[in-house]
Amino acid sequence: MQGSLAVNLARIAIILAVLALWEVLSRTGIVNPRLLPSASDTFATLGDLLQRAAVQKDLMVTATEVLTAFALAVPFGALIGFLVAENRYFADVAKPLLFFAFSIPKSIFLPMFILVFGVGFAQKVGFGFFSTIFIVIMSTTTAVESVKVEHLTVARSYGATRMQTAFRVYLPSMLPVLLEALRISMIFNLTGVILAEMYASRDGIGHQIATWGENFQMKQLLAGVVMVAAIAMTFNELVRWVETRCSHWRT
Amino acid sequence: MQPLANVTQLKPAARAGAIEVKNVGQVFKTRSQDVVALEDVSLEVKPGRFVVLVGPSGCGKSTLLMMMAGLRQQTAGTITISGAPILQPDPDRVGVVFQEASLFPWLTAEDNVEFPLALRGVPKAERRAKAQDALKLVGLDGFGRRHPHELSGGMKQRVSIARGLVQDPPVLLMDEPFAALDEQTRMTMGDELLRIWAATGKTVVFVTHSLTEAVYLADEVIVMSARPGRIVDHLQVQLPRPRTYEMLSGDAFGSLRDRIWRHIRKSA
Repeated sequence: MQGSLAVNLARIAIILAVLALWEVLSRTGIVNPRLLPSASDTFATLGDLLQRAAVQKDLMVTATEVLTAFALAVPFGALIGFLVAENRYFADVAKPLLFFAFSIPKSIFLPMFILVFGVGFAQKVGFGFFSTIFIVIMSTTTAVESVKVEHLTVARSYGATRMQTAFRVYLPSMLPVLLEALRISMIFNLTGVILAEMYASRDGIGHQIATWGENFQMKQLLAGVVMVAAIAMTFNELVRWVETRCSHWRT
Repeated sequence: MQPLANVTQLKPAARAGAIEVKNVGQVFKTRSQDVVALEDVSLEVKPGRFVVLVGPSGCGKSTLLMMMAGLRQQTAGTITISGAPILQPDPDRVGVVFQEASLFPWLTAEDNVEFPLALRGVPKAERRAKAQDALKLVGLDGFGRRHPHELSGGMKQRVSIARGLVQDPPVLLMDEPFAALDEQTRMTMGDELLRIWAATGKTVVFVTHSLTEAVYLADEVIVMSARPGRIVDHLQVQLPRPRTYEMLSGDAFGSLRDRIWRHIRKSA
């Protein structure tokens, strides 16, 4: 996170103000506390839930699904993206089609995933993969296109082999765009897996959140929201941190 | 700082650094027609000479340079450097200095200079020592740890020259290396290049749009015409060295530049 001390203080002030407003609205009854439990109650419930074995197991299930889908979608999508970008003809043919596919909301395919895979691990990973792969393909294509012809010519003029060109020119040129792609892919991936869990699942944090919602357990529901939001933000900031360290030369 | 120059002199081949271009042609095939970019180009460059290629846009001067570098194949004729044909890039015989954006922005200046050596697996310590020597030669001692975005345009081109020299090839090919620089920096870099050239004894082939730059730098100026690219004149620049700023306003300088300009105006 860049920014001067003053900017950071302003950010913290905004977060505190939102939390305070939340607390006040609920405590004073301006908003029905049954619909909006207070911030303090929500965070107390969050601490409570994190102690529970069942919740811990749900988090583990979701984490496993998310990481599996991610580990499959990223290399697979990157490979396709690379091939598309490197082959002129293939790129001409496939690129508009990929854009079409990308524009379709992925959620409408969820019922089909349930029919094909049944309810369980495969369905959720499959849907996470499906939600992620298009953005990975498209970002990789952009990353390959960010490699400068001049740099490739330099490498060639000094006798670089294909492997050397790949590791010494392509990879460093692409790294900043790839890291950004990784970050955005994770957002899509997390959304896909949690949506699949909320729609039809026996376990996972998404399933828990859906259940709490159906049972009108607002404190638990909000605590679940905070939990997932915190996990997503942590991952995002982690990659962003790596990103700024790897792309300091980009000005 | 003379180690690079000494190594060149130790090379046994008497023809090291000689360039011979014989009846070279280049035809680009497009869907509708064949475009003749170069037609029957022949020239000879003796070792250690500073030769400048000038001509209007599209005369194929950069194409010719790329063919000397082995980065592009001619469709007719032969090009030999140091007595052997050039069929593919050969960093032992030819170093290339490109236009401004050719440094790798993710590498420091010294890592950029070491790049050609790293490709051939030269040990780190030796690489570093050679890069230091090359950076010192181009006047960038102490700037090795900077990234390209922390260097001025002129300094970046010094790094490019150092990268071209680091393997100590007898020939240095330069493709409009100062085109993106402002006028003052350009003049300074011209003087710097002449100093480096005098210190190393390389054969230099230099492509430019600027007639003043051409006459100021060259032993010989080769003038090309556009479509098809042909050699229309080959001038010997007899001005004494070192060249000075005062020569620019002299009669000898002016008449050489006028002669080139008349050729270019005719073909443009």
